[in-house]
Amino acid sequence: MMNKKRRQLLAGALGGLGAAQFGLPAAFAKTDLSTAADDRILVVLELSGGNDGLNTVVPYGDDAYYRQRPMIGLKPQQLIKLDEHYGLNPGMVGFERLWKNGELAMVHGCGYENPSFSHFTSMAYWHTAAPNSGNDYGWFGRLADAMAPEPRPNFLINIDTAQSLAVRSRVHNPVVFDEPDRFRRNGMQPARALLNHIGQSSPANATQAYLNDVALSAREASSLVRSAWSAYNSPVDYGLVSLQLPKVAACIAAGLPTRLYYVAFRNNAFDTHVQQGPLHQRLLTYAADAVHGFIRDLERLGHADRVSVLAFSEFGRRVPENTSLGTDHGTANVMFLAGKNVNGGHYGEAPSLTELDDGDNLKYTTDFRRVYATAIDGWLRLGTSSSVLNGSFEPFPIFT
Amino acid sequence: MTVLTRVWLLCFIAAPVLAEQNPSQAGNLSPLPPSQWNTNLARHLLERAGFGATLEEIESLAKLSPQQAVRRVVHFAGIAESIASPFDHSGIFKIGLDPFPSSRPATTTLAKETGEALGIKVKESGNRPMQAVVNEFFYWLRASRLETDRVVYWWANRMLSSPRPLQEKMALFWHGHFATNENKVRDYRKMLKQLNLFQTEGLGDFRTLLIGVAQDPAMLTFLDAGVNVEGAPNENFAREIMELFTMGVGNYSEKDIREAARAFTGWNTVGLDFRINLDLHDDGPKQVLGQTGSFDGVDVIDIILEQRATPDFIAAKIYRYFVRESLDPALQRELGERLKAGNYALAPFLEMLFLAQDFYARESRATRIKSPVELVVSTYRKLGLKRIPGAPDFNILTEALGQRLMHPPTVAGWAQGRSWITPGLLLERGNFALDVMFADLSFIPQDRYPYYAGGDEIRAVDARIRAGLDITAATKPSQTDTSVDMMAMSNTMADRNEMFNTRFASYRGWQMAIERVKPIERNIAALDLTGMVMAARLTTPNAVVDYFVGRFLSVPLDKLTHTRITEFFEEQLGTDDIPAAASYLEDPLRLLLHVILSRPEYQLG
Repeated sequence: MMNKKRRQLLAGALGGLGAAQFGLPAAFAKTDLSTAADDRILVVLELSGGNDGLNTVVPYGDDAYYRQRPMIGLKPQQLIKLDEHYGLNPGMVGFERLWKNGELAMVHGCGYENPSFSHFTSMAYWHTAAPNSGNDYGWFGRLADAMAPEPRPNFLINIDTAQSLAVRSRVHNPVVFDEPDRFRRNGMQPARALLNHIGQSSPANATQAYLNDVALSAREASSLVRSAWSAYNSPVDYGLVSLQLPKVAACIAAGLPTRLYYVAFRNNAFDTHVQQGPLHQRLLTYAADAVHGFIRDLERLGHADRVSVLAFSEFGRRVPENTSLGTDHGTANVMFLAGKNVNGGHYGEAPSLTELDDGDNLKYTTDFRRVYATAIDGWLRLGTSSSVLNGSFEPFPIFT
Repeated sequence: MTVLTRVWLLCFIAAPVLAEQNPSQAGNLSPLPPSQWNTNLARHLLERAGFGATLEEIESLAKLSPQQAVRRVVHFAGIAESIASPFDHSGIFKIGLDPFPSSRPATTTLAKETGEALGIKVKESGNRPMQAVVNEFFYWLRASRLETDRVVYWWANRMLSSPRPLQEKMALFWHGHFATNENKVRDYRKMLKQLNLFQTEGLGDFRTLLIGVAQDPAMLTFLDAGVNVEGAPNENFAREIMELFTMGVGNYSEKDIREAARAFTGWNTVGLDFRINLDLHDDGPKQVLGQTGSFDGVDVIDIILEQRATPDFIAAKIYRYFVRESLDPALQRELGERLKAGNYALAPFLEMLFLAQDFYARESRATRIKSPVELVVSTYRKLGLKRIPGAPDFNILTEALGQRLMHPPTVAGWAQGRSWITPGLLLERGNFALDVMFADLSFIPQDRYPYYAGGDEIRAVDARIRAGLDITAATKPSQTDTSVDMMAMSNTMADRNEMFNTRFASYRGWQMAIERVKPIERNIAALDLTGMVMAARLTTPNAVVDYFVGRFLSVPLDKLTHTRITEFFEEQLGTDDIPAAASYLEDPLRLLLHVILSRPEYQLG
């Protein structure tokens, strides 16, 4: 639902495309926002490795794109066109469906000052929402603490082989597991019962009590998660690489009290330095199919109104292609918000493809924390994103 | 059971009762009266001032007075200088690798402009003229990382067997405080040099240590000192010094940072040596923290050390690490005053802390969660191992538990205390104990079998290259493959003409690295729990459980848990006569010990 003023602003930002027609879907089937805000769930999908935003949401209407990428630039006829300026990478059929339903918002040019080109450093900045600084806790963990100042069991789930810095929380024990079947204490069969036994703490030792609480949480969470998973049976097609999203759907369907989920496309999969074309298309296919399948599955389960997905990457990639038909680490990137309650469309200002920095990289136009704030205040209706993010960041009207 | 063990166990069980009867001594910094000294307190001291101890070591320290005991632990009085060998280098470094460009594109740009980079010339003709240069780039990335893993093994072995464990524990503390990561530093020699600095100066005075760190090659590289030059000061270095290393947020202004940054301009590293490039140094007047002058970096450090906030910040961090997390502002101020009054001398400060009644108060005992490294090393110590096992791999293991040495998550280091424990991590800690008791037969040594940075792809490239595919075909991303033979037949893409191929370089880099990096020996801990039990002359299942609890845990088990565990053990034995079961005792003992080490209580130190 983009108003006339914003269309004009975007038209201006895109270098005077004049009467550019943004081919927005005619009708946005908006669900009535009757769901209570304190029931809402946020799922964050991390695309690790530095996804090449320019070949994801392709600004085919800008000639500079083709000048910078003579070999790997995607031709207009290959693209899934969104409008007169942008087209999606051909792999993103899943996102095309979301876009047509008005369920996909994309924010252009997200980044931060003095960007880091290191995977681990930049990702840590996105995890802590503290660029060029540090924080003991992750933004998602601090969000959990702001939403629930008293610890609530199973409030925050991180599906991965190790706990992400993003979910590190002062108050909560994030439930961290990868394969539900392996989220368990290993041990020989005779010792099973004893291994699950929780002892009594000495009343004077608060740390001991904490450890026993976590042990209890581990025992309960692990069995909750394993039984949610075994009860779950979905006909929905999530594509070839489901990115843990079916596990999230299973937990939601089983009625877990979890409000925050964190999953990732792991191992810097998007780090496409060499022969990028087919690989990148495949990765985007997986990601788009997984997110689309997830939203359809939630619809089937009757939970689609209460869930939104935020997808990001720790940086974009360099504007000019490299000599190996790939791209190197870059800066600003597109962020996505998907879900039934999203006001689909373009947000933010497209970064210039000609006014680049010294390294031929995009200059960011939106601090990425604005999108975090959008999810925190706009979707979860917390109202205190500034304390979670240690600064004031204006949300976009992606959720009204 | 020997008299020794019986007396010891009585102290262990009785001590908590005695503590309840006395008023809490939390916050009392006056020295412990010698009459209160006992085996339990000696154990606590060895747990905190090192990596835990065997019963024999605890007994030996308990015989001394508290003053003597603390002097031994902090000043190593009466302990010979360690004869541990220095790090055994593989010999991976080559002259052309320093200075190492900041990225692969920077390397190839340098090669294009000058005809050479990393000591390797660009070929004059032929395809992929820069291939050898890029191979060398990836060689160094891989080799430095693998060699850093070996440095960690060397360090872990010192933690395990040094007669001066506090030296290694302080080094561990400083490594978390002055955090640098080999991922960015990309030079194991610099990481080793910084580690040596922490080991030699970690118990000296904070001023010497801080200046040493500010001039240390790893830190200078990590905080981009190279781009901090006159006219274009980079604030990263100055910011981290003030925010994370000395005063903490809120005790300086952004202007102070900008001005301080100017004082550090020109500070850089040439190879492993600190240099000040005077041409790049801004020697104009600066205003830092209320003082004006043509300060250089050392001057700024001295100004920072004069600030009220600094000793409080450092004293608090040391206190939280060695004593307990909760520290009220009044006590923090007092600790800061004492640190400042002693001119930031660290050993006397620790001596004071370890002698104080506050250290031995019930609030301070067995209330601290062992970090992953402490958990692993102290487990091995208490098992009486002399070497860190090669399997499970120490680096992989500690990473899974959340603390990979030389790879802190950010410049802020590791969040301590309860952050070490999540439901999954707690289960991992128990699973670690299982892997020590019963070797994991799926173990693969990661220094011979590439796994990170796309290890699967590298092995796929290796297979295709060996089958005779050209580089273009061999380096196509895997998912487009069917089989090697199919690809050879289809061969739609001729070998590309290009300056270099990155994926091939990554693969060659791996091969070159593993040729030169010495392998970590994959010894598995050969436990002899039967021997341990026999030597302690234990005759009943209950005695064995008591013994293991006493040897490994810092708090006793509650009665029900203790009973259940003893019953379980007896059932496994099929008898209550330990000596009679001696010939098949080992497996039940290992099951028992795994159960005990899986207790949440085992995380307490």
